[in-house]
Amino acid sequence: MVSKESCRNEIRAAIRQLSDRCLYSAAKWAGEQLVGIEQDSSNFTPSNTRFQRGSSSIRRRFSTNESISTPQPSVGFSQPPATPLPQEDEVIDGDLYLLAKSYFDCREYRRASHVLRDQMSKKSVFLRCYALYLAGEKRKEEEMVGLEGPLGKSDAINRELVSLERELSALKRTGAIDSFGLYLYGVVLKEKGNESLARASLVESVNSYPWNWSAWSELQSLCTSIEILNSLNLNNHWMKEFFLGSAYQELRMHSESLAKYEYLQGIFSFSNYIQAQTAKAQYSLREFDQVEIMFEDLLRNDPYRVEDMDLYSNVLYAKEACAALSYLAHKVFLTDKYRPESCCIVGNYYSLKGQHEKAVMYFRRALKLNKKYLSAWTLMGHEYVEMKNTSAAIDAYRRAVDVNPCDYRAWYGLGQAYEMMGMPFYALHYFRKSIFFLPNDSRLWIAMAKCYQSEQLHMLEEAIKCYKRAVNCGDTEGIALNQLAKLHQKLGRNEEAAFYFEKDLERMDAEGLEGPNMFEALVFLATHLKTNKKFDEAEVYCTRLLDYSGPEKEKAKSLLRGIRMAQTGFPSMDMEHFPL
Amino acid sequence: MAGLTRTAGAFAVTPHKISVCVLLQIYAPSAQMSLPFPFSSVSQHNRLGLYLLSLTKACDDMYEMKLEELINQLRELGDDVDAWLTENLTNQFSSLSSPDDLLNFFTDMRGILGSLDSGAVQDDRIVLDHNSNLGMFVRRCILAFNLLSFEMDMEIYVMDKATKEMELHRNASGSVSFHLHTPEALFKVTEGIPYYSPIYAQEEFLRISGLLVSRKEKSSTSKFAEATSVASASSSKVEDTRVDESLFLRTNLQIQGFLMEKADAIEAHGNSFFSSSIESFLEQLQNLAPELHRVHFLRYLNKLHSDDYFAALDNLLRYFDYSAGTEGFDLVPPSTGCSMHGRYEIGLLCLGMMHFRFGHPNLALEVLTEAVRVSQQLSNDTCLAYTLAAMSNLLSEMGIASTTSVLGASYSPVTSTASSLSVQQRVYILLKESLRRADTLKLKRLVASNHLAMAKFELMHVQRPLLSFGPKASMRHKTCPISVCKEIRLSAHLISDFSSESSKMTIDGSLSSVWLKDLQKPWSQPVYSRESSSRNNSTFFKFCDHLVSIPGSVSQIIGASYLIRATSWELYGSAPMARMNTLVYATLFGDSSSSSDAELAYLKLIQHLALYKGYKDAFAALKIAEEKFLTVSKSKILLLKLQLLHEHALHRGNLKLAQRICNELGGLASTTMGVDMELKVEASLREARTLLAAKQYSQAANTAHSLFCTCHKFNLQIEKASVLLLLAEIHKMAGNAVMGLPYALASISFCQSFNLDLLKASATLTLAELWRGLGSNHSKRALDLLHGAFPMILGHGGLELRARAYIFEANCYLSDPSFSVSTDSDTVLDSLRQASDELQALEYHELTAEALYLMAMVYDKLGRPEEREEAAALFKKHITALEIPQDVEPNMA
Repeated sequence: MVSKESCRNEIRAAIRQLSDRCLYSAAKWAGEQLVGIEQDSSNFTPSNTRFQRGSSSIRRRFSTNESISTPQPSVGFSQPPATPLPQEDEVIDGDLYLLAKSYFDCREYRRASHVLRDQMSKKSVFLRCYALYLAGEKRKEEEMVGLEGPLGKSDAINRELVSLERELSALKRTGAIDSFGLYLYGVVLKEKGNESLARASLVESVNSYPWNWSAWSELQSLCTSIEILNSLNLNNHWMKEFFLGSAYQELRMHSESLAKYEYLQGIFSFSNYIQAQTAKAQYSLREFDQVEIMFEDLLRNDPYRVEDMDLYSNVLYAKEACAALSYLAHKVFLTDKYRPESCCIVGNYYSLKGQHEKAVMYFRRALKLNKKYLSAWTLMGHEYVEMKNTSAAIDAYRRAVDVNPCDYRAWYGLGQAYEMMGMPFYALHYFRKSIFFLPNDSRLWIAMAKCYQSEQLHMLEEAIKCYKRAVNCGDTEGIALNQLAKLHQKLGRNEEAAFYFEKDLERMDAEGLEGPNMFEALVFLATHLKTNKKFDEAEVYCTRLLDYSGPEKEKAKSLLRGIRMAQTGFPSMDMEHFPL
Repeated sequence: MAGLTRTAGAFAVTPHKISVCVLLQIYAPSAQMSLPFPFSSVSQHNRLGLYLLSLTKACDDMYEMKLEELINQLRELGDDVDAWLTENLTNQFSSLSSPDDLLNFFTDMRGILGSLDSGAVQDDRIVLDHNSNLGMFVRRCILAFNLLSFEMDMEIYVMDKATKEMELHRNASGSVSFHLHTPEALFKVTEGIPYYSPIYAQEEFLRISGLLVSRKEKSSTSKFAEATSVASASSSKVEDTRVDESLFLRTNLQIQGFLMEKADAIEAHGNSFFSSSIESFLEQLQNLAPELHRVHFLRYLNKLHSDDYFAALDNLLRYFDYSAGTEGFDLVPPSTGCSMHGRYEIGLLCLGMMHFRFGHPNLALEVLTEAVRVSQQLSNDTCLAYTLAAMSNLLSEMGIASTTSVLGASYSPVTSTASSLSVQQRVYILLKESLRRADTLKLKRLVASNHLAMAKFELMHVQRPLLSFGPKASMRHKTCPISVCKEIRLSAHLISDFSSESSKMTIDGSLSSVWLKDLQKPWSQPVYSRESSSRNNSTFFKFCDHLVSIPGSVSQIIGASYLIRATSWELYGSAPMARMNTLVYATLFGDSSSSSDAELAYLKLIQHLALYKGYKDAFAALKIAEEKFLTVSKSKILLLKLQLLHEHALHRGNLKLAQRICNELGGLASTTMGVDMELKVEASLREARTLLAAKQYSQAANTAHSLFCTCHKFNLQIEKASVLLLLAEIHKMAGNAVMGLPYALASISFCQSFNLDLLKASATLTLAELWRGLGSNHSKRALDLLHGAFPMILGHGGLELRARAYIFEANCYLSDPSFSVSTDSDTVLDSLRQASDELQALEYHELTAEALYLMAMVYDKLGRPEEREEAAALFKKHITALEIPQDVEPNMA
């Protein structure tokens, strides 16, 4: 276990170094983790406690592990030697550097890089290149806005990439590059499409300087499969745990990811980041109640947070918590209305209110702000489905899929849209795709089964196979068992049908449900057992039916009568000898 | 969504159009007498007119001609006026020194148009009719100019300026297109800009200099035409288009046309090299214009032709997800408001055809069934017609043994009673339905190809009433060559719809680029520019030739009709007619055809060579074809090669080799039931023949028998006839003539009902041989049979068949006691000599030896020892060759 104090010291130094190099988002992230470390009781100040107040009680409620402050280190994980903090090559920044940094802070990137044109220290070189890169990015964005035509954007690219790559690779060859330079080199390579080299450069960067979260997240975006992730040669450091947590999450290995975060919570018990990530993982596992509480908690500590709040709004939407969603939407909108997340939240709000046109408008706005905003595409697809504009829905879903081909929701949406249009065979392909990415979700299997079952296809055997898979995945909605029973009944396989009806009955009993499905199961079982001469068991079901009113009761009565008749009709039965 | 709708912005004033206007002004100056100044003769003047006409027609094309090219073409046009024309053109450009001049220029342009109301045209003045092609062009230019705002006016002027400057420095800088020099801002001139990418000085220069090199290289090797035509080497093409797309604006129409042309190119060059180059080009295009969804479709086509199932599927689905099937499809749009739903049924249709191509008939059928259902639901009759055609094609091509399990259970597309019908009947119904719909919807191409499919159907299937009730139901059980011919003719009517160009015909982008290509074809050949004596006429006729241009898809269908004609003649047994039709196809439609059709034509020609000229020629031709087609995916050339080698090995008596080739042939077929039936039948037919040659009669008979069962199961009627003949042959060779007779008779009756005359003649020969096998007392009857079939055999038969007939005839005579060798020796000797000559070309040792043996015997009887010895020596040579088969196969390499 890393000591909290050493972590704290490492992060403090890192924040200084990162913001010195204008790597602000990495510094921001590090800062969040810094205050996320639980304070020692000896030297906390009132301001620290204020920040950390009020959350631990709720967190304890959901913690499976009682000892929060000292979680068990994961098996096989030994404490690595701490990576020494690199010494600054210049203790005092040169005057030009100070000027360049001010320019940079005023977002005058080209000016900043110009000021540093003759500076040879690693720090200056990095800032110059970084400023140049950002200048190129800015230009690219402007071009993209300016050049959009009816057939879409032209291929605006960052025009600095070529020269940057040339310079950075030369620096790398001579060894005159530090870990920040390697990070930038990795980013440039990634943009140029050279993924494996980019990965190597980023790995080198995080191995020599692990506190740069931006480098880790770039690296994470390049790990598109577990094989790639496992092939990375990473030094052990507590930052690696953060990385793995986020990478596992992206690869849909939610429980692994949760385990990582639980471990990290031992040190960073008050980290908002970890809490949000845990909530994300739980959301994927569909633990909505828990996620809601976590987000409420998060908002209480950090009321002006916009990041990840779109997820919260999804939860509220799923739970149809209209008031809470409205509160969230208004609050976020006052904080920063031109964030894609805010627009998405408002879109969700309108959707819940049934104003689908407005919802679409806000999702569109979110997409204008970030064209690759995956969930907005998918949600917009849902809205279009609601509006019965199938082709627009398909378009939106397809864009989501093209942004991230692993997005099972969008694949599922595509399948649904085609099914709606009466093209079940075509839809099957999309359902298959979505199941490929999430094979353990019963809803997907049920959707596919319904496709097979549709009157156009009528491929019942395949439907049965799908329903079986759904049952194995723990069908939460209780459709599969009933359908299986009915399908078997339809195909004249009464034994199988009886088996599934019985199972379904058990399930309904366990959940305390009643309804037409139950009557159906009882009637079938009673009749089936009666024809198979298992009168005692049949009678049990009939008596259960007698508890209800309506036609079922009459049916039960007549069944019972039949059973009596049959029983009396058998001379061999023992009862026969006793006159009634 | 970017459809094929033409907007006002689609026609933009460009420097090229201004140059054309200048030329028009020269052609028809506003106040002039009948023959304007520089022209010395009316024909010269007319030539310029025709040239201008083709220029205006090409102006909707993807590429715009560069000024330099224009000047070059002008140079080739007029012998003495070209200098003057060029001079004038350049001067005009220089005189446009301010935006105001441009305005004046266009005002002047109005003058060359005749006035609308003046019905009486003065005889001595040349005025452009408002509604003529040239007049329309001028009007469009003027309109487009007037639509420009003030700033744009300025910009056009700047652009012209640049052009002019370029013109001045032309000689120094070599071949630079004038688009390259126009500043970036100018590209904003056009409204409705489809796409473009900005040019930055540095990169631009890099690019231009790179381009210059390639251009120069090309012009130095005078391969200009290749560079511009689609069929050019792909590397240079990609480069060309890259420059084009990054530097100049295109209207939607032009892009769609361009893409269509690319699609044709993909079909015409189905090889992997081409495919990878076009793939990289398409990727680039997609980066440039992510909203141009048609690119996905092209990628699908490309992947389809390079047999990449997953990528093809992915791209197909992506295209229809994005565009809802409404972008760029040239089907007639449905009248009702289907736009809300998109046209995903087309997606289903394409998916079905894709599955078909990849050999998944059941999947394809399932998808097409869904397509039918959705089309009916959305009342998209056009798609329905196409889908039915695709379905019938699928059913007729794929041997689907029991469709009831696939079709009957779920849905039957046309009528509910259809499930009780046989496959052929269903094909027939589907075709009829498709044809009817296509006819009412005026889908000319579909009508034509349906007629072709119908012809195929008529060719292969006997006419039978669909539902037979009562005694009157029996009809003639024959195919009807007349109706085949009729259908083929009906399909060829398509061309007449295009031959007279009407203004109603939409000039899509692809058509207009055809114009340009046609223009460049004759012009690029140095012959025309050098041979001054014959030049005038030839160029003139070239113009006339290309005034009518036929879209590629149409000429493809017409070409296919010739191929079917050839096939039908092949079946009916007229070798010369088959050959002629194939040749017509190869010469007239070879360049516009798809690679698979062209391959088929080669195949037929080579087969013809092998049958009628011997193997030497055939192998030589095969070598040429191999170079051309072996890279094409799913090449039939390999199959043909194996067939030829097998035949050759059988004739030479190299049975081991024959067996090996047989196995290879069988290995080519897919293992899926009902797929590649043709290939499978071919392989087992050849296996039986190999066994027969090895004298393993019972095994051969077994193989042939099971083959017959397969043919029966999959309704391969024509193959049945030849299998029956083979069975007769086997029994004959086994010496069991009595058993052979029924087979031969059955084969003959099959041939009769399908009008397979040549096969029938061959079966008759076998029948005659069988009769003779019963004993020499049947010789008379055998001879009569043979003589009945002789005209057909000698007129149309291949070398082997003819030789066999000759030898058999000689044998009959020789065994006839009433025949005297000494008096009638020539009758026999002529036949035998003919036979042995022909067989030597085939290297058919066994039969040659037989002929020579007979010859030697006859000579012996006649007492001509020298000739006898000669024949005997030859006989010995062939026998040893047969006994020691040479393993070295010169043509295997």
